[in-house]
Amino acid sequence: MDDRPNGTDKRDRNMLKYMYIFRGGVATEPLSPTEMQAHMTKWYAWADGLGRSGRRLGGEPLQNTGATIRGRERVVSDGPYVESKDLVAGFMLIAAESLEEATQLAQGCPVFEYGGSVEIRPLLEGRA
Amino acid sequence: MTRGDPGPNELVADLFRHESAHLVAALTGVLGPSQLALAEDVVHDALLAAMDAWRFELPRDPKAWLLQTAKNRAIDRIRRERRFGTLAPQLASEWALHVAVEAALSPEQDAQNQLAMMLSICDEGLSIETHVTLILRFLCGFSAKEIASAFMLDTQTIDRRLHRGRAHLKQLRRLHDVSDPARVRARQPSVLQALYLQFNEGYHGSDPVDPLQPALCADALRLAELLLEIPAASSAEVHALSALFCLNAARLGTRLDAEGVFLPLAEQDRSCWDRSLIARGLAHLSASATGEQLTRWHLEAGIAWEHTAAPSLAATDWARIAGYYDALLLLNPNGIVAMNRALAIAELQGAQAGREALLEVADDERLQRTPFFWGALADLDARVGLDAAAQRHFEHAVELSRSRAERVAYQRKLAKLRN
Repeated sequence: MDDRPNGTDKRDRNMLKYMYIFRGGVATEPLSPTEMQAHMTKWYAWADGLGRSGRRLGGEPLQNTGATIRGRERVVSDGPYVESKDLVAGFMLIAAESLEEATQLAQGCPVFEYGGSVEIRPLLEGRA
Repeated sequence: MTRGDPGPNELVADLFRHESAHLVAALTGVLGPSQLALAEDVVHDALLAAMDAWRFELPRDPKAWLLQTAKNRAIDRIRRERRFGTLAPQLASEWALHVAVEAALSPEQDAQNQLAMMLSICDEGLSIETHVTLILRFLCGFSAKEIASAFMLDTQTIDRRLHRGRAHLKQLRRLHDVSDPARVRARQPSVLQALYLQFNEGYHGSDPVDPLQPALCADALRLAELLLEIPAASSAEVHALSALFCLNAARLGTRLDAEGVFLPLAEQDRSCWDRSLIARGLAHLSASATGEQLTRWHLEAGIAWEHTAAPSLAATDWARIAGYYDALLLLNPNGIVAMNRALAIAELQGAQAGREALLEVADDERLQRTPFFWGALADLDARVGLDAAAQRHFEHAVELSRSRAERVAYQRKLAKLRN
């Protein structure tokens, strides 16, 4: 991972926290059970890879329901009310050396197979 | 999750395919075959919902999750589309429907539901190819595209078969009765025949990229063993077929070498054969001996056992294998059996005798279209010193090869001959 000549022991201290925010990525076309299994397998392989290299710090999937409160009037409405491709499906906290590396690590995420996205945000207090 | 538990990838391995079969059979059983399309839609939606919800983590009990989701969706749809009137009278209230669907989806009902579906599919009015197609679609969870690729056919052909099958199922008042032995037995031969065809497609497949399809073999075995769970369907014959599947499946892993090329039996590493499948096959073989009839499945299982039990090719009991082939030819005369008999004779009495036996069936047109025939003939040509003929016949086997795995295997033999 780290090929800088004297970077090895600095690495742990230099790790920063990032949040992956997953949106969409839900298939809408007809899929066969085999294709669904294959897609799930990719998710677990990807998350497992991040876990084994100590990068995955936590995270949770979200249900597609809930409520939103808006404005001074605090109007409560049902549901997140966005198109499914913009719906936040879950988040994950990871450790990476830089935004560049965090971006690199997200490339393998299977959310892109069905039109989803990953937003990558550094935490304000970001030491991992 | 603690260490030693199966990871999520092991848990999910065949879960979607198998749960698709379980749920479609259960819902079609309880709602009636006229609601097949609804059952298929509901199950597809439930699986898609699972795929969405399980991306980050599998639920504690994935099967229970799916069951609940499928049940709720089925009842929602029936309520929304006001379909109560189209259901059987005993399901016509929401409460009754809840109770009935809940009971039908319970794991204890699974074998019965899937068997009822299988028996309904294997109707004499449909061809055996259609039987296999429908089994793969409804009881193994394969898509039309995947079935087409496994059988090297175009998707339209498979779609046509599925269309015919769906139309046939829809006009049934209910799925086949699994409790009446006479009615079950009447359909049993076509079910076993279809499972045999499915297994063989996994074992010597025509798919140009993946000539072996272990999932087809594993599912044929799963469905055969499922018959054994139902008293009216369990018989010595089903044990014989299960034995054949186990003993062949045990050797599946050594059929290809590291480069994905078919290995001749003589070169396969026998120590890698699956011991647990062999033991399971042997148990089925003993159970199959209780019947009064000696069926082709008994004979084929006997042959598979001789190959599996032999310590080497040379130490194989070829006399017994040739005897089984003789009996098989009487029951089921066909070119492939005659070819295999000739190969057993070559080991027993020498290459010359084997070659003569093979040439006796050389005008069988179906045999002539397979690469195996030309490959077998070329092997025997070479063993009796007819190198020119061997070369010509290997070249023909290469031309007829359906996959790289077959082609390279014959090309290697050809290269050895030329050196």
